[in-house]
Amino acid sequence: MAIIEGRNVTDDRTLTPDFCIIGSGAGGGVCALKLAEAGFDVLVLEEGPNIPKENGPAPGQKRKMLNEREVDMYKLLYQEGATRLTRNGGVKILQGRCLGGGTAVNWSACLPPRKETLHEWQKRGLPFTRENLEPYLREVVNYLPIVRNDKYNTSARKFMLGCAKHSIRHENLPNNTHECRECGSCGVGCPYDRKMSGFVKWLQDAVDLGATIYTDTKVDRLKASGDQITEVHAHFIDGKTRPTQRKLVVKPVKGIVMAAGAIGTPAILMRSDLDLDKRVGKFTHIHPVTITIGKYPESTFPAYGVPDNMWTPTFADGPTGYLIETGSFYPVLSASATLQHGDELHRIMRDYYPNGAISYAHHTTGFDPNEKYGTVKLDDNGDPELDYKIPKANVGPMQESIVMMTRIHLAAGATSVYVMRNPPLEVKQDTQFSEIRKIDFTQPQRATIFTVHVMGGCQMNKDNKRRCVNNDFTFSGKKNLWVADGSIFPTALGANPQVTIYSLALWAAREICEQNQATFQFKHQQGGDLPWPEY
Amino acid sequence: MAGVLSLIANPKERSEVTATTFDCLNRETALILFAVAEAVLGEGFLVKAPQFVETVDDYLNYQRPAQREQFRLALLITETTLPLTVGGMTTHFSHLSMADRRKILERLRSSSQEQRRNIYAALVNVSASTYYASELTWIDLDYKGVSVDHPEILTQPPPIPWRPDDPRPIED
Repeated sequence: MAIIEGRNVTDDRTLTPDFCIIGSGAGGGVCALKLAEAGFDVLVLEEGPNIPKENGPAPGQKRKMLNEREVDMYKLLYQEGATRLTRNGGVKILQGRCLGGGTAVNWSACLPPRKETLHEWQKRGLPFTRENLEPYLREVVNYLPIVRNDKYNTSARKFMLGCAKHSIRHENLPNNTHECRECGSCGVGCPYDRKMSGFVKWLQDAVDLGATIYTDTKVDRLKASGDQITEVHAHFIDGKTRPTQRKLVVKPVKGIVMAAGAIGTPAILMRSDLDLDKRVGKFTHIHPVTITIGKYPESTFPAYGVPDNMWTPTFADGPTGYLIETGSFYPVLSASATLQHGDELHRIMRDYYPNGAISYAHHTTGFDPNEKYGTVKLDDNGDPELDYKIPKANVGPMQESIVMMTRIHLAAGATSVYVMRNPPLEVKQDTQFSEIRKIDFTQPQRATIFTVHVMGGCQMNKDNKRRCVNNDFTFSGKKNLWVADGSIFPTALGANPQVTIYSLALWAAREICEQNQATFQFKHQQGGDLPWPEY
Repeated sequence: MAGVLSLIANPKERSEVTATTFDCLNRETALILFAVAEAVLGEGFLVKAPQFVETVDDYLNYQRPAQREQFRLALLITETTLPLTVGGMTTHFSHLSMADRRKILERLRSSSQEQRRNIYAALVNVSASTYYASELTWIDLDYKGVSVDHPEILTQPPPIPWRPDDPRPIED
């Protein structure tokens, strides 16, 4: 069928597909393709804009509108123009909001689910193990494909050097890139189609099989009758996210798949009065990210090269473990995190940007059964916001991750390391580590904290007081409503979640097919070993 | 609250703010934004970021309405409720000297109140990120720009991988 841009729709519409999938990120893309392969008439609704495929001015550029400029791309590709914050302002949330969702803007890191996390999930009644997930993981690895890209940028190379000097195990982090051009623009969308994002793979293949995608389409609510969802009500928005006054009503024949992410999915369910006695939105998790920038004697060209293909699993174990990864960084992203003003702002930018190398740590949360963690709430306009405070149990590991990253930078030859504390801290020697260990991350704006992974809020769980989604991915009490995104996670994952969401969405698609007397097929099981080390 | 503060606010007129139509700001909040950005970035910042006010106004479109209102409120609070007394007279933010405006920014940054630190972060983050979004600032950072305009970056050989068992000497 086609990709239809809602901003250009000039009439109200009513559609009757077999399945309506809400969200086009990792979960939505997978379900769109597998349900289309099974012969169903599939409709995907995406709040963000389309990314048309038309040749751009640079050699090999296939997506003209992705011009790699931060100022143009953040508003186009990210939720709230990349300015989304937790309710208390303490954490910056970077989430995709475009065709392909997070897969369009992530740094292409591909890790499997952490075994320790899957064990915890089994205790909470979830059916997934690394063994029974293997065919799903294999399908993802071979279809995208996921590869080891060993062209390391300067941040990665400095990290490897520092790790080696401290005898810290470090590993290649597999990517879903193919013949990467090393432009470093993964975070602002790959215009060369070298990152195998949703709009290059899953969604494109689904459209080729007849699926229809509406972009610029914001879902207001679902309408229920008994144990069935009967209608999806949405409206179209313009290029600046303002309503166009045109409406869409979907009356799906078979059902609805929620895949709007761990903030979007609970928000739509709450707007639909499907909050399951306020269980929906509860226990939402993030990976809080701590960041360090090392300053080196030479130019580092920090924006260029594959951003995320080097990591260490050394500190990943435990309920509050952390993964250290390396990246690329750009002027706007850097400036937005400095917590500085005046001459010092410009000095920091001039000192650390041209000669900088970045490392950052994703922190695991969500394992303490007595902790409330985050809650998705609706504001007065019905828009979602995440009420989240950094758990006390994570404060020590967050301090230690900064200490460890600083040690690695200094061992690699950094002359100083910028710690995004308030007030900012430049570390030049070990004796300053005590300052890092005083940072109170529970207080907003005592340090810059990001997250790029939001999970939970509509969890699968055997505990009736927490369960929103059953083990067959159906939403509690509704037979034709499935949830296939990161919102089903009962804890944070402790790893970049893209591959896990793909794999669980494949499992969900198999369940949906079986429940609707259709055939689900694996098509990419032939291939070598999965590309991951044990961790 | 914003309505009341707006009645009190009387930001200093600045000829540098030339925009006449706005999506989300108005003349009043645009002038406060300019005074804040000047304190964050320094005098003459528009030379390198000539579209500063227009860019911030455009970005506010993409925020959810409640967040957008919070930003406007942060500007009005800064202008009207954090005055310094200069020569016995209470003066609003945009009428203060650069040095005094920076004193207020310091007070916000080091405040024990969460709301005031959040205001500091919002004002500083918006100013700094919008400024460094401008191509005219990139030369200060030795940032070569995006590959669309600088394909030679793509043709440079990638960094040489190094592994613990690599027999080659370690590069610095």
